[in-house]
Amino acid sequence: MASPVSLEQSIPGAPLTSIVLTEELRRRPARGPEYEKENRALASLVRTLADSPSTILQTLAETVLELLEAHSAGLSLLTKDATRFYWAAIAGAWQPHLGGGTPRDFGPCGDVLNRNAPMLFTHWERRYPYLGSALPLADEGLLVPFHVNGTAVGTIWAIAHDQRRRFDAEDLRLLESLSRVASAAYQAVASIKNLELEVAARQRAELEIRQLVSGLEAQVRARTSELERSEAFLAKVQQISNTGGFSWWPATGKILYSDQMYSICEIDPAVPLTRELARSRIHPDDLPAEQEAIGQAVSAARDMEYACRLIMPDQRVKYVHSFMQATRDAQGELVYVGALQDVTQRRLSELALNKVRAELEHVARVTAFGALSASIAHEVKQPLSGIITNAGTCLRMLAADPPNVEGARQTAMRTIRDGERATEVITRLRGLFAHSQVVTERLDLNKAIEEVIALSRGDLQRARVIVRLDLGQNLPDATGDRIQLQQVILNLVMNASNAMSGVEDRPRELTVRSVLDEGGGIRVSVHDTGVGFKPQLAERLFEPFFTTKSGGMGIGLSVSRSIIERHQGRLWATCNQDHGATFVFCIPREARELTDTKV
Amino acid sequence: MTSQVAVVVVIDDDLSVRESLPDLLMEFGYPVEAFPSAEAFLESDWVGRTRCLILDVAMPGMTGPELQRELTARCEDIPIVFITAQQDTTVRPRLMAHGAVECLFKPFSDEALLRAVTAACGPT
Repeated sequence: MASPVSLEQSIPGAPLTSIVLTEELRRRPARGPEYEKENRALASLVRTLADSPSTILQTLAETVLELLEAHSAGLSLLTKDATRFYWAAIAGAWQPHLGGGTPRDFGPCGDVLNRNAPMLFTHWERRYPYLGSALPLADEGLLVPFHVNGTAVGTIWAIAHDQRRRFDAEDLRLLESLSRVASAAYQAVASIKNLELEVAARQRAELEIRQLVSGLEAQVRARTSELERSEAFLAKVQQISNTGGFSWWPATGKILYSDQMYSICEIDPAVPLTRELARSRIHPDDLPAEQEAIGQAVSAARDMEYACRLIMPDQRVKYVHSFMQATRDAQGELVYVGALQDVTQRRLSELALNKVRAELEHVARVTAFGALSASIAHEVKQPLSGIITNAGTCLRMLAADPPNVEGARQTAMRTIRDGERATEVITRLRGLFAHSQVVTERLDLNKAIEEVIALSRGDLQRARVIVRLDLGQNLPDATGDRIQLQQVILNLVMNASNAMSGVEDRPRELTVRSVLDEGGGIRVSVHDTGVGFKPQLAERLFEPFFTTKSGGMGIGLSVSRSIIERHQGRLWATCNQDHGATFVFCIPREARELTDTKV
Repeated sequence: MTSQVAVVVVIDDDLSVRESLPDLLMEFGYPVEAFPSAEAFLESDWVGRTRCLILDVAMPGMTGPELQRELTARCEDIPIVFITAQQDTTVRPRLMAHGAVECLFKPFSDEALLRAVTAACGPT
């Protein structure tokens, strides 16, 4: 069913006079008043008003329906903006239209308010066609305005949908009586509404305040627990990281220590920890350095950092690292806030690691030695062979008749030369495979490369590897440990040779190149035409014990890299475009200082 | 010595061997030619006039055993005494099985060489 409201714009039909029957009310015989019934109804309305004011309008509509014996009854209220009436309460046949309404200036309610007098209508849809959809149609409609403080605010009405019911003067009197109740009810409802609004507003405000308060409380709680947590956290961190904290005012000597400081210094927490007591733990050898460092920092109010050893009553040594930040307190006094970390475990691990690393390098050398033993034997036996042959020849020449003295002299000279060569080979080998300390010296890398190639010549020959040397001319000397660098080169050369051992369809070519790097360092590359490696393995190649060889230990490249890195250089591998791999290392001309294995 | 004289040929890439062995062999009474590589020997006109080869096993380029195969392929039946600085003990039986007269491990004595050369090409 279309809402009557949607028909507001309908063109006016019949004139107002044709639908108004108000005069009829006086002409019709009036029924007798039923005061008892009326009083009961009014009393009931008052109770309702007191007990459940929110339902008063609907109760009123029902009372109208009952007292006037109407078919429909209700209340229309003017909206706040006074443009429309809305049906606030309806009882009877029109009950489904509850909430509908009419325009202020185009409908029966408007007419009643304009005249400010009760009116009786018949078939209003003839003038107001939109009411034609408000079924059942109104045969008669009796409307009475009601007021609040002299202003008309709505109408109270009764409808007869057929001719069996005709409103008369008694109906008008009853409706006017009820309109006063309507007026009171309206005010009660409005004030209740206002009160409710006010209460709601207060409740909202209170709720907001409560939320605000609880928010603040939550924040305070959060902050408190955060604070507690962060204090606990700090303590835990200090404990886990073995770090003690302290604040120190150099001017007064005042010092505050965290609990962890006691446990690092192994001092009974009951004993007051003073700077003197803490300093008594410092290793005597480290005391002067610590004193000087602190003295200098304090005089310049600088931050400082130092490492030293502590010595415990049972002579155990602890390694500690301290950071101190210079700040000013509220009074502007210099105060150092510091942390002292026990790094003993790390230090011991480092020492152990270095020891293992040194052993690993030795193992690598020995392994390389094993791989090279055939080559070594070859290199030594060649000159030995010459020596023995020459010696035999020499003896025969001298034993001849007449003795061939000149021939003997020449063979003897060759013997000496071959002997020197054998010595040279052995010296080189001893250098290469001895478990020697790091020695920093200026060295000609090209010469180092040539020596390595000379040593491995036999092996390379047997592996049918063609060696090309492309050594840069006028390269500056490098600084480093010759033996270690040669070991790296040897390792790269042997790897290249191994990588080509299965190659039959192309030359097994090994190219060792040396050039001056753009950065001023020296770059050495070892290029092969072997099987190469998968690009994704480029970095894994340098992991210890990573090997693609069945017999290899996989430590050669990792050791090589650690050697090159100790020379402040880099070692990396690339895949060649066609076949094989290229290993490149680059070391600076002047290594600042070799990172010693014995840290 | 005319070009018709058959010689003992020494092939070794090591200079000290090429210098010392020919002198000793000449002391034994054999005419000698020395070459630094198998290829140099094959390119020379001494191949058909070689009584005996003193041949190094491992050399850059063509190896001793490869030269042996090449000569067999060319139907050049030249007695071969291999010399090697390799320690590998499996080398000798393998080379002997392929028809070598002897395989000497460097360093070897002058007597050992004399015995091998005599066995290869008979006394001077």
